[in-house]
Amino acid sequence: MKRIKKISLVLLVLLIAIQFLHPARNESLQQLPTDIATNYKVPDSVFRILKTACYDCHSNNTRYPWYSNIQPMAWMMANHISNGKEELNFSEFGGYSIRRQTSKFKSIADQVKDDAMPLWSYELMHKDANLSDDEKKLIMNWAQILEDSLSANN
Amino acid sequence: MKKYFAITLAIAVVALAACNSSNNNSTASQTDANKDTTAAVHQTQDTMPAGMNMNNTTTVSVKDVIAAYLQMKNAFTNDNTNDAATAGKNLQAAFINLDTKTLSADQQKTINDITDDAKEHAEHIGANGGNIAHQREHFDLLSKDMADLVKTLGTGGQTLYKDFCPMYNNKKGAYWLSETKEIKNPYLGKAMPACGVMKEEIKQ
Repeated sequence: MKRIKKISLVLLVLLIAIQFLHPARNESLQQLPTDIATNYKVPDSVFRILKTACYDCHSNNTRYPWYSNIQPMAWMMANHISNGKEELNFSEFGGYSIRRQTSKFKSIADQVKDDAMPLWSYELMHKDANLSDDEKKLIMNWAQILEDSLSANN
Repeated sequence: MKKYFAITLAIAVVALAACNSSNNNSTASQTDANKDTTAAVHQTQDTMPAGMNMNNTTTVSVKDVIAAYLQMKNAFTNDNTNDAATAGKNLQAAFINLDTKTLSADQQKTINDITDDAKEHAEHIGANGGNIAHQREHFDLLSKDMADLVKTLGTGGQTLYKDFCPMYNNKKGAYWLSETKEIKNPYLGKAMPACGVMKEEIKQ
Protein backbone atom coordinates (compact mmCIF):
# COMPACT_ATOMS: atom_id res chain seq x y z
CA MET A 1 0.00 0.00 0.00
CA LYS A 2 2.79 2.31 0.98
CA ARG A 3 4.49 1.48 -2.27
CA ILE A 4 1.49 2.37 -4.41
CA LYS A 5 1.21 5.65 -2.58
CA LYS A 6 4.83 6.44 -3.27
CA ILE A 7 4.55 5.54 -6.92
CA SER A 8 1.48 7.67 -7.45
CA LEU A 9 3.17 10.53 -5.70
CA VAL A 10 6.15 10.28 -8.00
CA LEU A 11 3.86 10.05 -11.02
CA LEU A 12 2.01 13.11 -9.89
CA VAL A 13 5.20 15.07 -9.41
CA LEU A 14 6.39 14.00 -12.85
CA LEU A 15 3.09 14.94 -14.41
CA ILE A 16 3.30 18.38 -12.84
CA ALA A 17 6.94 18.75 -13.84
CA ILE A 18 6.30 18.13 -17.52
CA GLN A 19 3.63 20.82 -17.53
CA PHE A 20 6.44 23.35 -17.54
CA LEU A 21 7.76 22.06 -20.86
CA HIS A 22 6.25 23.74 -23.89
CA PRO A 23 7.15 22.64 -27.40
CA ALA A 24 7.42 25.47 -29.93
CA ARG A 25 4.04 26.40 -31.34
CA ASN A 26 3.22 26.13 -35.02
CA GLU A 27 1.89 29.64 -35.53
CA SER A 28 2.97 32.03 -38.22
CA LEU A 29 0.70 34.95 -38.94
CA GLN A 30 2.16 36.04 -42.24
CA GLN A 31 1.00 34.39 -45.39
CA LEU A 32 3.95 33.18 -47.45
CA PRO A 33 4.13 33.76 -51.21
CA THR A 34 4.34 29.97 -51.47
CA ASP A 35 0.89 29.54 -49.93
CA ILE A 36 -1.41 27.34 -51.98
CA ALA A 37 -4.05 30.07 -52.12
CA THR A 38 -1.68 32.48 -53.83
CA ASN A 39 -0.57 29.88 -56.37
CA TYR A 40 -3.79 28.06 -57.25
CA LYS A 41 -7.48 28.78 -57.42
CA VAL A 42 -8.99 27.56 -54.21
CA PRO A 43 -12.77 28.05 -54.21
CA ASP A 44 -14.23 29.28 -50.90
CA SER A 45 -16.04 26.00 -50.33
CA VAL A 46 -12.79 24.06 -50.68
CA PHE A 47 -10.78 26.56 -48.68
CA ARG A 48 -13.19 26.29 -45.77
CA ILE A 49 -12.72 22.52 -45.65
CA LEU A 50 -8.94 22.76 -45.96
CA LYS A 51 -8.90 25.21 -43.07
CA THR A 52 -11.12 23.21 -40.74
CA ALA A 53 -9.93 19.69 -41.61
CA CYS A 54 -6.35 19.95 -42.90
CA TYR A 55 -4.54 23.12 -41.90
CA ASP A 56 -3.96 22.22 -38.25
CA CYS A 57 -1.32 19.69 -39.32
CA HIS A 58 -0.65 20.68 -42.93
CA SER A 59 0.10 24.39 -42.71
CA ASN A 60 2.22 26.82 -40.71
CA ASN A 61 -0.80 27.73 -38.63
CA THR A 62 -2.39 25.46 -36.07
CA ARG A 63 -5.55 26.46 -34.21
CA TYR A 64 -4.63 25.17 -30.79
CA PRO A 65 -7.40 23.78 -28.58
CA TRP A 66 -7.32 24.36 -24.81
CA TYR A 67 -5.90 20.92 -24.06
CA SER A 68 -2.85 21.67 -26.17
CA ASN A 69 -1.51 23.43 -23.09
CA ILE A 70 -1.49 20.18 -21.15
CA GLN A 71 1.30 17.64 -21.35
CA PRO A 72 1.72 15.07 -22.78
CA MET A 73 -0.94 16.31 -25.25
CA ALA A 74 1.32 19.16 -26.34
CA TRP A 75 4.10 16.75 -27.29
CA MET A 76 1.80 14.44 -29.18
CA MET A 77 0.36 17.36 -31.07
CA ALA A 78 3.78 18.80 -31.92
CA ASN A 79 4.79 15.39 -33.21
CA HIS A 80 1.68 15.05 -35.41
CA ILE A 81 2.13 18.54 -36.79
CA SER A 82 5.77 18.05 -37.68
CA ASN A 83 4.99 14.75 -39.46
CA GLY A 84 2.03 16.30 -41.23
CA LYS A 85 3.96 19.32 -42.46
CA GLU A 86 6.80 17.20 -43.72
CA GLU A 87 4.35 15.23 -45.81
CA LEU A 88 2.34 18.18 -47.10
CA ASN A 89 2.47 21.84 -46.14
CA PHE A 90 -0.13 24.06 -47.79
CA SER A 91 1.76 27.16 -46.62
CA GLU A 92 4.83 26.11 -48.60
CA PHE A 93 3.10 24.31 -51.45
CA GLY A 94 4.24 26.78 -54.11
CA GLY A 95 7.85 26.06 -53.20
CA TYR A 96 7.54 22.41 -54.24
CA SER A 97 8.69 21.34 -57.70
CA ILE A 98 5.84 21.05 -60.23
CA ARG A 99 6.39 17.31 -60.21
CA ARG A 100 5.92 17.16 -56.47
CA GLN A 101 2.89 19.46 -56.59
CA THR A 102 1.29 17.14 -59.13
CA SER A 103 2.02 14.17 -56.89
CA LYS A 104 0.57 15.93 -53.88
CA PHE A 105 -2.68 16.81 -55.67
CA LYS A 106 -3.13 13.16 -56.58
CA SER A 107 -2.29 12.04 -53.05
CA ILE A 108 -4.77 14.52 -51.58
CA ALA A 109 -7.54 13.05 -53.72
CA ASP A 110 -6.43 9.47 -52.99
CA GLN A 111 -6.13 9.96 -49.24
CA VAL A 112 -9.59 11.54 -49.00
CA LYS A 113 -11.08 8.85 -51.25
CA ASP A 114 -9.52 6.08 -49.11
CA ASP A 115 -10.71 7.76 -45.89
CA ALA A 116 -7.10 7.78 -44.72
CA MET A 117 -7.25 11.52 -44.14
CA PRO A 118 -8.18 13.30 -41.96
CA LEU A 119 -6.94 10.84 -39.34
CA TRP A 120 -9.76 9.25 -37.34
CA SER A 121 -8.04 10.29 -34.12
CA TYR A 122 -8.14 13.89 -35.31
CA GLU A 123 -11.80 13.60 -36.29
CA LEU A 124 -12.50 12.31 -32.80
CA MET A 125 -11.39 15.62 -31.34
CA HIS A 126 -12.59 17.83 -34.21
CA LYS A 127 -16.14 17.00 -35.19
CA ASP A 128 -16.10 19.48 -38.08
CA ALA A 129 -13.18 17.59 -39.67
CA ASN A 130 -15.45 14.59 -40.17
CA LEU A 131 -16.14 15.22 -43.84
CA SER A 132 -19.48 14.47 -45.46
CA ASP A 133 -19.57 12.65 -48.81
CA ASP A 134 -20.26 15.94 -50.58
CA GLU A 135 -17.32 17.61 -48.91
CA LYS A 136 -15.06 14.68 -49.83
CA LYS A 137 -16.19 14.93 -53.45
CA LEU A 138 -15.51 18.64 -53.44
CA ILE A 139 -11.92 18.13 -52.31
CA MET A 140 -11.32 15.17 -54.61
CA ASN A 141 -12.61 16.98 -57.69
CA TRP A 142 -10.67 20.12 -56.90
CA ALA A 143 -7.40 18.23 -56.38
CA GLN A 144 -7.93 16.06 -59.43
CA ILE A 145 -8.63 18.99 -61.76
CA LEU A 146 -5.41 20.66 -60.63
CA GLU A 147 -3.47 17.41 -60.96
CA ASP A 148 -4.79 16.89 -64.49
CA SER A 149 -4.03 20.42 -65.60
CA LEU A 150 -0.51 20.20 -64.19
CA SER A 151 0.27 16.87 -65.83
CA ALA A 152 -1.23 18.05 -69.13
CA ASN A 153 1.00 21.13 -69.18
CA ASN A 154 4.24 19.49 -68.09
CA MET B 1 13.48 6.15 -4.14
CA LYS B 2 15.74 5.80 -7.13
CA LYS B 3 13.98 2.59 -8.00
CA TYR B 4 10.58 4.23 -7.92
CA PHE B 5 11.77 6.99 -10.13
CA ALA B 6 13.00 4.48 -12.67
CA ILE B 7 9.67 2.69 -12.60
CA THR B 8 7.75 5.91 -13.03
CA LEU B 9 9.95 6.98 -15.85
CA ALA B 10 9.39 3.64 -17.53
CA ILE B 11 5.64 4.04 -17.17
CA ALA B 12 5.80 7.54 -18.58
CA VAL B 13 7.84 6.38 -21.55
CA VAL B 14 5.46 3.52 -22.25
CA ALA B 15 2.49 5.87 -21.98
CA LEU B 16 4.06 8.31 -24.40
CA ALA B 17 4.97 5.56 -26.82
CA ALA B 18 1.41 4.27 -26.65
CA CYS B 19 0.09 7.73 -27.42
CA ASN B 20 2.35 8.05 -30.40
CA SER B 21 1.41 4.68 -31.78
CA SER B 22 -2.14 5.97 -32.21
CA ASN B 23 -0.58 7.82 -35.09
CA ASN B 24 -1.57 6.78 -38.52
CA ASN B 25 0.58 3.90 -39.64
CA SER B 26 2.24 5.66 -42.47
CA THR B 27 3.21 8.76 -40.56
CA ALA B 28 4.64 6.80 -37.68
CA SER B 29 6.79 4.51 -39.71
CA GLN B 30 7.70 7.35 -41.94
CA THR B 31 9.36 9.38 -39.27
CA ASP B 32 11.39 6.35 -38.42
CA ALA B 33 12.48 6.03 -42.01
CA ASN B 34 13.27 9.72 -42.20
CA LYS B 35 15.22 9.81 -39.01
CA ASP B 36 17.40 7.04 -40.08
CA THR B 37 18.22 6.91 -43.71
CA THR B 38 21.54 5.42 -42.84
CA ALA B 39 19.77 2.48 -41.26
CA ALA B 40 17.78 2.09 -44.44
CA VAL B 41 20.98 1.99 -46.40
CA HIS B 42 22.49 -0.62 -44.14
CA GLN B 43 19.39 -2.68 -44.32
CA THR B 44 19.46 -2.37 -48.06
CA GLN B 45 22.89 -3.83 -48.18
CA ASP B 46 21.54 -6.89 -46.44
CA THR B 47 18.42 -7.26 -48.50
CA MET B 48 19.56 -6.17 -51.94
CA PRO B 49 19.47 -9.01 -54.40
CA ALA B 50 22.78 -10.41 -55.52
CA GLY B 51 24.34 -8.45 -58.30
CA MET B 52 23.47 -5.11 -56.71
CA ASN B 53 26.87 -4.61 -55.36
CA MET B 54 26.36 -1.96 -52.74
CA ASN B 55 28.88 -3.14 -50.22
CA ASN B 56 31.94 -1.73 -51.87
CA THR B 57 30.55 1.60 -52.84
CA THR B 58 28.18 4.15 -51.38
CA THR B 59 26.91 5.32 -54.74
CA VAL B 60 24.66 3.39 -57.07
CA SER B 61 23.97 3.60 -60.78
CA VAL B 62 20.72 3.89 -62.68
CA LYS B 63 20.95 0.14 -63.24
CA ASP B 64 20.57 -0.48 -59.50
CA VAL B 65 17.64 1.91 -59.31
CA ILE B 66 15.91 0.08 -62.15
CA ALA B 67 16.64 -3.29 -60.55
CA ALA B 68 14.97 -2.20 -57.30
CA TYR B 69 12.02 -0.76 -59.23
CA LEU B 70 11.57 -3.98 -61.21
CA GLN B 71 11.79 -5.99 -57.98
CA MET B 72 8.88 -3.88 -56.72
CA LYS B 73 6.93 -4.14 -59.96
CA ASN B 74 7.22 -7.94 -59.86
CA ALA B 75 6.06 -7.99 -56.24
CA PHE B 76 2.94 -6.08 -57.30
CA THR B 77 2.21 -8.44 -60.19
CA ASN B 78 2.17 -11.20 -57.56
CA ASP B 79 0.00 -9.15 -55.18
CA ASN B 80 2.83 -9.43 -52.66
CA THR B 81 2.56 -6.40 -50.41
CA ASN B 82 5.47 -7.29 -48.14
CA ASP B 83 7.93 -7.86 -50.96
CA ALA B 84 6.79 -4.58 -52.46
CA ALA B 85 7.53 -2.89 -49.13
CA THR B 86 11.02 -4.41 -49.01
CA ALA B 87 11.66 -3.26 -52.56
CA GLY B 88 10.37 0.18 -51.58
CA LYS B 89 13.04 0.45 -48.91
CA ASN B 90 15.71 -0.72 -51.36
CA LEU B 91 14.55 1.76 -53.95
CA GLN B 92 14.47 4.62 -51.47
CA ALA B 93 18.08 3.91 -50.55
CA ALA B 94 19.03 3.60 -54.21
CA PHE B 95 17.54 7.03 -54.97
CA ILE B 96 19.42 8.56 -52.07
CA ASN B 97 22.71 7.09 -53.23
CA LEU B 98 22.23 7.58 -56.94
CA ASP B 99 25.42 8.93 -58.44
CA THR B 100 24.78 12.15 -60.38
CA LYS B 101 28.28 13.61 -60.23
CA THR B 102 29.07 13.02 -63.89
CA LEU B 103 25.93 14.81 -65.09
CA SER B 104 25.67 18.39 -66.27
CA ALA B 105 24.14 20.94 -63.90
CA ASP B 106 20.92 20.94 -65.92
CA GLN B 107 20.64 17.19 -65.87
CA GLN B 108 21.40 17.13 -62.17
CA LYS B 109 18.52 19.47 -61.52
CA THR B 110 16.17 17.32 -63.58
CA ILE B 111 17.29 14.19 -61.77
CA ASN B 112 17.06 15.78 -58.33
CA ASP B 113 13.54 16.91 -59.13
CA ILE B 114 12.61 13.37 -60.08
CA THR B 115 14.33 11.61 -57.19
CA ASP B 116 12.94 14.05 -54.61
CA ASP B 117 9.48 13.01 -55.62
CA ALA B 118 10.23 9.36 -56.34
CA LYS B 119 11.99 8.73 -53.06
CA GLU B 120 8.88 9.84 -51.21
CA HIS B 121 6.77 7.33 -53.13
CA ALA B 122 9.31 4.58 -52.49
CA GLU B 123 9.26 5.47 -48.81
CA HIS B 124 5.46 5.26 -48.63
CA ILE B 125 5.46 1.92 -50.40
CA GLY B 126 8.13 0.73 -47.98
CA ALA B 127 6.14 1.89 -44.96
CA ASN B 128 2.76 0.51 -46.02
CA GLY B 129 3.27 -3.24 -46.21
CA GLY B 130 -0.22 -4.70 -45.71
CA ASN B 131 -2.01 -1.91 -47.57
CA ILE B 132 -1.43 -2.84 -51.19
CA ALA B 133 -4.09 -0.47 -52.54
CA HIS B 134 -2.26 2.48 -51.03
CA GLN B 135 1.09 1.13 -52.18
CA ARG B 136 -0.22 0.91 -55.75
CA GLU B 137 -1.42 4.54 -55.64
CA HIS B 138 2.18 5.53 -55.04
CA PHE B 139 3.48 3.03 -57.58
CA ASP B 140 1.46 4.87 -60.24
CA LEU B 141 3.25 8.15 -59.50
CA LEU B 142 6.57 6.42 -59.00
CA SER B 143 6.34 4.78 -62.43
CA LYS B 144 5.92 8.21 -64.05
CA ASP B 145 9.06 9.34 -62.27
CA MET B 146 10.92 6.23 -63.38
CA ALA B 147 9.95 6.75 -67.02
CA ASP B 148 11.33 10.30 -66.85
CA LEU B 149 14.46 9.14 -65.03
CA VAL B 150 15.22 6.63 -67.75
CA LYS B 151 14.73 9.36 -70.38
CA THR B 152 17.62 11.30 -68.86
CA LEU B 153 19.87 8.55 -67.55
CA GLY B 154 19.18 5.73 -69.97
CA THR B 155 18.29 2.18 -69.02
CA GLY B 156 21.71 1.03 -67.85
CA GLY B 157 22.13 -1.23 -70.84
CA GLN B 158 18.87 -3.17 -70.85
CA THR B 159 15.76 -2.92 -72.97
CA LEU B 160 12.66 -1.79 -71.07
CA TYR B 161 9.03 -1.69 -72.09
CA LYS B 162 6.64 1.07 -71.16
CA ASP B 163 3.26 -0.56 -70.61
CA PHE B 164 -0.15 0.95 -70.04
CA CYS B 165 -3.08 -0.34 -68.01
CA PRO B 166 -6.22 1.48 -69.17
CA MET B 167 -8.43 0.24 -66.33
CA TYR B 168 -6.58 1.28 -63.20
CA ASN B 169 -7.62 4.32 -61.17
CA ASN B 170 -11.21 4.59 -62.38
CA LYS B 171 -10.22 4.08 -66.00
CA LYS B 172 -7.80 6.97 -65.86
CA GLY B 173 -5.12 4.44 -66.58
CA ALA B 174 -1.54 4.09 -65.39
CA TYR B 175 1.87 3.29 -66.83
CA TRP B 176 4.59 0.98 -65.64
CA LEU B 177 8.01 -0.13 -66.83
CA SER B 178 8.80 -3.77 -67.45
CA GLU B 179 11.80 -5.86 -68.43
CA THR B 180 9.66 -8.38 -70.32
CA LYS B 181 7.71 -8.04 -73.54
CA GLU B 182 4.91 -10.10 -72.05
CA ILE B 183 2.31 -8.06 -70.17
CA LYS B 184 2.14 -8.72 -66.44
CA ASN B 185 -0.03 -6.10 -64.81
CA PRO B 186 1.25 -4.76 -61.47
CA TYR B 187 -1.85 -2.65 -60.76
CA LEU B 188 -4.48 -5.37 -61.01
CA GLY B 189 -2.15 -8.21 -60.11
CA LYS B 190 -3.39 -11.77 -60.28
CA ALA B 191 -6.97 -10.63 -60.86
CA MET B 192 -6.14 -9.47 -64.42
CA PRO B 193 -2.50 -10.26 -65.14
CA ALA B 194 -2.68 -9.86 -68.93
CA CYS B 195 -4.55 -6.56 -68.95
CA GLY B 196 -2.58 -3.80 -70.61
CA VAL B 197 -0.72 -2.80 -73.75
CA MET B 198 2.89 -2.14 -74.56
CA LYS B 199 3.24 1.51 -75.60
CA GLU B 200 6.93 1.91 -76.11
CA GLU B 201 10.10 -0.11 -76.33
CA ILE B 202 12.90 1.74 -74.62
CA LYS B 203 16.21 0.61 -76.04
CA GLN B 204 19.34 1.28 -74.07
